[in-house]
Amino acid sequence: MVNLRTFVLAVAALVLPLSTAAAAQNEITIARSVSTTAMDPGFLREAATIVDNIFDTLVMRDDDMKLVPGLADSWKAIDDTTWQFNLRHGVKFHDGEDFNADAVKFTIDRILDPAANSPTISYIRTIASVEVVDPYTVRIKTNGPDPLLPTRMSRYPTYIVPPKYVQKVGNDVFARKPVGTGPYKFVEFIPDQHVILEANEDYWRGKPSIKKVTWRAIPDGTARVTALITGEADLVENVPVDLAPMIEQSPDADLVQVKNGGLTIYLGLVMKDKPLDNVKVRQALDAAIDRKGIVDNILRGMATPKGTQVGPADFGYLDIPPTKYDPQKAKELLKEAGYPDGFSIKMQSSHRYMKDGEVAQAIAQQFGDIGVKVDQEVLDWSVYTQQVPRKGPIFMLGWGSTQTLDADAAIYAIMRSGEPYSTADVPELDKLLDESRKIVNPAAREKVLHEVQKVAAETVPLLTLYQEDSLYGKAKDVVFAGRQDARIPVFDIKLKSAE
Amino acid sequence: MISVKTLSFITGRALQGVVVMFGVSLIVFFALFLTGDPAALMMPPEASRAEIEAFRQAMGFNDPVLVQYLRFVGGILHGEFGNSLRFQRPALDLLLDRLPATALLAFVALAWSSLLGFVLGTIAAIRQNSGIDFAIRVISLLGQAIPVFWLALLLIIVFSLNLRWLPSSGIGTVQQLVLPSLALGAYYFSAITRLVRASLIEVLGENYIRTARAKGISNWRIVVHHALRNALIPVITVQGMYFASLLGGALITEIIFAWPGIGRLAVDSIQTKDFPVVQAVVIFAALVFVVMNFLVDIAYVFLNPRIRL
Repeated sequence: MVNLRTFVLAVAALVLPLSTAAAAQNEITIARSVSTTAMDPGFLREAATIVDNIFDTLVMRDDDMKLVPGLADSWKAIDDTTWQFNLRHGVKFHDGEDFNADAVKFTIDRILDPAANSPTISYIRTIASVEVVDPYTVRIKTNGPDPLLPTRMSRYPTYIVPPKYVQKVGNDVFARKPVGTGPYKFVEFIPDQHVILEANEDYWRGKPSIKKVTWRAIPDGTARVTALITGEADLVENVPVDLAPMIEQSPDADLVQVKNGGLTIYLGLVMKDKPLDNVKVRQALDAAIDRKGIVDNILRGMATPKGTQVGPADFGYLDIPPTKYDPQKAKELLKEAGYPDGFSIKMQSSHRYMKDGEVAQAIAQQFGDIGVKVDQEVLDWSVYTQQVPRKGPIFMLGWGSTQTLDADAAIYAIMRSGEPYSTADVPELDKLLDESRKIVNPAAREKVLHEVQKVAAETVPLLTLYQEDSLYGKAKDVVFAGRQDARIPVFDIKLKSAE
Repeated sequence: MISVKTLSFITGRALQGVVVMFGVSLIVFFALFLTGDPAALMMPPEASRAEIEAFRQAMGFNDPVLVQYLRFVGGILHGEFGNSLRFQRPALDLLLDRLPATALLAFVALAWSSLLGFVLGTIAAIRQNSGIDFAIRVISLLGQAIPVFWLALLLIIVFSLNLRWLPSSGIGTVQQLVLPSLALGAYYFSAITRLVRASLIEVLGENYIRTARAKGISNWRIVVHHALRNALIPVITVQGMYFASLLGGALITEIIFAWPGIGRLAVDSIQTKDFPVVQAVVIFAALVFVVMNFLVDIAYVFLNPRIRL
């Protein structure tokens, strides 16, 4: 009978008036496409979007993506393998524990501990040890010169955690009830439903203006955008391109388009396979793609054609224009390479990026125009990731430098031969890439990174297509411009109605 | 009252269930290895070979396959499926956490679809080949033909986006239950309507109904007291199966409406290659099916004297 009663109640609810009013003053609901599973910043298997609001890092990034002091007042390289960080005084964790050098050492040591099996250890692999000089000074020693160390201190897994609390409750509980120094305190976490945070009134950067944040997970794009338009959510991330007009046309919401905020999409080429071992063939394929046509017509302008894998906001970016669409030249290159009649080749893609199925189809057609017959294979993402990048021989993938904003993250893993995701094999590139990891001096390093991109443009180890924008939807009342590094710092979000 | 024959029938069915579960455990276990190297897949792209190797060692992927399988089955028998890779919590706990949400949705969906399906199916059967029968048949055909993802999105667009009557997603209020249970129940509503109609039409053609008519019993009394009682036996059997399939999680409905149930857990786990959770969900769904099947078989023996063994 309980079923029946619930059912009758449900039907009754149909006729009852319903309040879909936007969030009450100074409260905000943010809908993401993925569920949060755990909030221990040292052991994340997902984006740090929520964690970023609970914890702080030694180094932070401002709106222009410049590195600025966070929990560290200042930092400097003492020698090629030692960085010193001077820590901020008077900062406390949400439970009252003091933030100091011991907390920094504890944070890094627990990730480096091989027994801990941290999934993100690779991000700080270069660190050899952490020394506490005095309560507010730490020195971090690296295995070799590491120019990116300050950057590594600005993103997960190096959000500073409270040693006493973590040791007391253990990692498992900590992941469900996190305590940090950040602008928001943890309140409640119900998996697949929500995470609730409240303002940390004692925050060292000042009182947050929004007092309560509810993070929800709505996996379906239509449901997520609907939630925004109906006022069930005030901010949504990951808006599907097709649904962007729904937000643009809504009187209650705005589309936030962050130029170059997304991944750079490329076609990987398994270079050891014939005929992709021939540079002229790779150049021909590169010239056969109409990037502008794809971006304008398929992606509705929500991406930017590119000539390098490095993003404009990344350190080391070299402004290389996208390869010119020239099917005539592509045909000639094929002829020179010894394939006057073209060839047949397999191309794999999945459903992960903006309209990638349609983009892959367009490219297959454009390859067809120069005589290269493409056998297209579209796989489910979970299967795709098992085959890419080994099978191919042409495969579509997105890569980015998000949260690092350095050319190294954008290119090393996909261009250095032998790396798990790389199918490139250009000795000259390998040499330059290795060199780039040994230089600490920024100017010298930038020069080498520029050189890498020049060589890549000539030898075409992969076909760079375009960089996606990242798309958010927000209620009119919310002030949020979106960030290059894909973070959602609620501390910086304001509500117009609360001003 | 229980004869030896009945007892041996029940024992036989129970043993069959055990064999099925054994088969399922084999498939679930070996599916993991069909997909390639699990360790490499579960680590982030930047992980080095040494880190992947360390992870493989920690997960026990280096042991002989038979050892791994026995460990797997032994774990299941103790209710241990291993820790979720994403949550770092026992997979079974995660599943049980989400069971109430899935059960609630399943109950409500099955309740409205059974009730309405029963009423409409009966009306259609009594008024066979009339206009109202035709209308009911069209509706129930549509209900079975429309894919659930399409119906779900349609419901969201009409009732949430345009009319603003109901919330589009989430759990907690009665309003939030309406759209997902409508979407989920549509198929079962149609199936039950058609089944009740067909079954009742068949029974109404039986000799004993003709006899009852000849005795001058009112039409209403014939349908309620004589016909429905027999017509409902196959319906109840089928409902047992429907409920079992609903308890295994409504994958699409739960994803679209952000309903925190087993189906959503399953999809998320598949996409993130959280194998212990996927294994737990599949084994659980199979177990629910086997148990339901078993119960229906037993119920059949007692409910339907015609097939007394």
